[in-house]
Amino acid sequence: MRLIFVLYCFLHVKSSTFAIQEDTFTEELLIKPLFSEQVYAHFQFATTWNIDPKNENYHHSHLFPRPIGETIERLNIQELHISLTGGLWRYETWGYPVVDAAPGAEIWAWFKHNTDNVDTNWKLLSNSLSGLLCASFNFVDGSNTVSPQFSFRPRGIVESSNNTFLRYASLPREIVCTENLTPFKKLLPCESKSGLASLLNSGYIHNTKYHSVSLHLRQICATEACDKLAQELQLSVSLVYDYAIMGTKNWSFKKLFGHGLNGNCPLASRSNIFVDLSSKTSHDFELTPEPDDVIYSIRGGQEQMFAKYDIPPYFLSVGAKYQNNLDFNVNIPPPLHACQYLTGYGQERGGIVTEIYNNHWKSLDIVLLQNIAWFVPVYLHTLKIVSNNNQVIEPSVLKYGPGKQREKPYYLEVVLKLPPRSLTKISIDFDYVFLKWQEYPPDANHGFYIGSAIISSYLPLAKNYTGLPQDASTITGSFNASRVGYLVQIRTENMVITLPTPDFSMPYNVICLACTVVALAFGPLHNITTKRLILKKKNRKKLLERLKNKFVEKFFKKKEEKSENDKNE
Amino acid sequence: MNYIKLKPNLSLFLVIISVLATYAQLDPRFVENVKRGKHTNNWAVLVDTSRFWFNYRHVANVLSIYRSVKRLGIPDSQIILMIADDMACNPRNPRPATVFNNANQHINVYGDDVEVDYRGYEVTVENFVRLITGRLFPGTPRSKQLLTDAGSNVLIYLTGHGGDGFLKFQDSEEITSQEMADALEQMWQKQRYHEVFFMIDTCQAASMYERFYSPNILAVGSSMVGEDSLSHHVDPAIGVYIIDRYTYYALEFLETVSPESNRSMGEFLKVCPKSVCISTVGVRKDLFTRDPDTVPVTDFFGSVRPIKLLEKVTMMDISEIELPKEVEKAVDNEPKKRYYYTRPLPDFDLLVAETKKLETGIDKEREKEYVGYWY
Repeated sequence: MRLIFVLYCFLHVKSSTFAIQEDTFTEELLIKPLFSEQVYAHFQFATTWNIDPKNENYHHSHLFPRPIGETIERLNIQELHISLTGGLWRYETWGYPVVDAAPGAEIWAWFKHNTDNVDTNWKLLSNSLSGLLCASFNFVDGSNTVSPQFSFRPRGIVESSNNTFLRYASLPREIVCTENLTPFKKLLPCESKSGLASLLNSGYIHNTKYHSVSLHLRQICATEACDKLAQELQLSVSLVYDYAIMGTKNWSFKKLFGHGLNGNCPLASRSNIFVDLSSKTSHDFELTPEPDDVIYSIRGGQEQMFAKYDIPPYFLSVGAKYQNNLDFNVNIPPPLHACQYLTGYGQERGGIVTEIYNNHWKSLDIVLLQNIAWFVPVYLHTLKIVSNNNQVIEPSVLKYGPGKQREKPYYLEVVLKLPPRSLTKISIDFDYVFLKWQEYPPDANHGFYIGSAIISSYLPLAKNYTGLPQDASTITGSFNASRVGYLVQIRTENMVITLPTPDFSMPYNVICLACTVVALAFGPLHNITTKRLILKKKNRKKLLERLKNKFVEKFFKKKEEKSENDKNE
Repeated sequence: MNYIKLKPNLSLFLVIISVLATYAQLDPRFVENVKRGKHTNNWAVLVDTSRFWFNYRHVANVLSIYRSVKRLGIPDSQIILMIADDMACNPRNPRPATVFNNANQHINVYGDDVEVDYRGYEVTVENFVRLITGRLFPGTPRSKQLLTDAGSNVLIYLTGHGGDGFLKFQDSEEITSQEMADALEQMWQKQRYHEVFFMIDTCQAASMYERFYSPNILAVGSSMVGEDSLSHHVDPAIGVYIIDRYTYYALEFLETVSPESNRSMGEFLKVCPKSVCISTVGVRKDLFTRDPDTVPVTDFFGSVRPIKLLEKVTMMDISEIELPKEVEKAVDNEPKKRYYYTRPLPDFDLLVAETKKLETGIDKEREKEYVGYWY
């Protein structure tokens, strides 16, 4: 028995030593004071697994989470992107986030080009994710899924980027809370026991203006020459704290996360904290403790300075104390931002308007994607694109997929060239429809959600940009990373529309009223129809007989009363 | 390649070893339970059927029981938690990501590691009946399945708004007592339970278990037919009632129970006398073969798990182990190929030019894949 056990251990250790060489894990935290009122904290956990994608065995991983590996293998997944977000990222004042995410839940996946039935796999994927992340992904089905042609190109290396293998869906109603964070933390090698993940306390995370949890899985180059592939998993948590909620502008780990950091994750090959010092010029602050290093980064015409901390295996708490001088912040909005709203009144016709601001001095190519639910039938002929209130713009490319009630959403993808320094309004009209009685949710009067529009662009400069370049999986990789363009995917607000909602107590009221009316009408009608009025003859008995009857009656009554009194006694 | 060939044999070998090893290492108490036909595992189905903020107390109820069963040892994988609305992260909650059972905020019943299996619109009568009878759609994840067997003790806890003979789900549909009884009968016929403890906290709760006819069910309801179940107290910070009386006292009792304690179900059935509950707690024992006074609370709220701690651990020196070299060779033999990232957005000027060509018929070639070395 002993020998067998030793052998077992031996084999086990053997396989895990392989894995040690194959998986690498890094944990990073970026803290960036945003314009005036908020501070942005972004956790970036990246696991890279040098696995041959042709090797179909994803079970023997070391740091890579096994449930994700199993899903890739079973459902033939090439790329997977999930985000669960509460709140809205304010592009105009906050700039661009590291990872874009729409309010609610969003999911898009690329399947491998040898997948037989993409739709079946997509359904199975959403089901298994609903179990894995405790979110209602099982509501993702054909009725809210589209395959956009331009907006969601693969982020990693793929053999074919034919959009028949792409599926995208969003659930704008989804609420994000602790139950989503718990399974998320379990995907990390150190879970929440140590390292940066130990800072993720639900009470503090959900007391923010914006919180987003995301998972991005793709294939990347394993080597410089890119002759080998690796599987990469980026897990990230983005938080925007409001100074008004915190009560002060001076932030520290205790104020942001509830406690300090108790050492790094021992399984991580690199653990860093970066603090963006760019806002120091407008409002100076001092960091405690002193950073280990200061990094200068020039990227796409933007100069930035970052304080860098290497997380030691012992306690660390970083804090910033602001100088008392006045805050002369001027908000410079990013080159591209957008918003979305509803137009019209009443419950018959309405419209969706997307406003896109181009603050850049040159024209910009953008793609607008609208995934509109089937219960909001839009009319393509009403699509109007007007720039600066007078200039009508023709879309370069227009892709439209008509929806089908209960089966398919309306899909609209517009490629546009935005004029320099312009405000472009894209509007489309829709009808309000009646749903079937049982299709209304229990809280039908709350309204129905229309997901956010997605505006993608490849910006020529990296102003206000914090995103990662395509070839990097860490924040470190984004320093001095000047590239041809910088991808942004702006998500606009969700919209809530009130569909004509019937009064659900109406049938009950109608039944009650109808029954009352019937009952009231029935009595007299029944009497009238069934009874006959007959003239009664007047009693003409003789006086003596009448007197006799009266006497008998009186006598009998008295006798009865007497017997009753006897009983009572 | 040798390594790969060897693997199936190895894994089979390992399975045999591990089976032998586990059998030998099973907890003797567990083995005894199996032999004597006692329960061998514990499951809990905890359901809150009410939506809307003013039903905060029902969420607090169900989370109180969730907290207790988790603390007493039932793992999250064996708890099916159904919550019809989100209270913890509701914008009206002044303390995000918390749900308290008490205005003094003694116990955050939501906790830091809650896992909700069915939430929001997923909480429907159909899903509930499918869950307990095991008639789920293919592809349902494990965490949404009740994988019980003939050795399972199942705790079913329901809370919400009810009436004589029904329990409302989300204010839009209801389950009747007959449907509930039939679902449990189906569970019994499919050997999906050993014993069931059915607990319900609603108005006229006793009406829900009156029609049960399957064996081995112990049922308790917070009120008799014709009675209302009452809530405990208001938290002014939240503005609504925070918990129901029956569950409040049940949690108070369960907080005193530890996984090793010998407190009996008989005691648990008496946690809320009429003086504190105001409603009369109804109990149905006729389907249950054992005497509740001899049944430990942990038979339903705790968990039996076949676990044995290893006393000896053999340490190996990793550096002594030789690594097989076949795998590396196999990789080396492959022809080298350069891979490229796809450009994240197509080049639209090029795309428009191509489309025009296609339209005018000058170039009818297939639309090209825009693959290049892009960052």
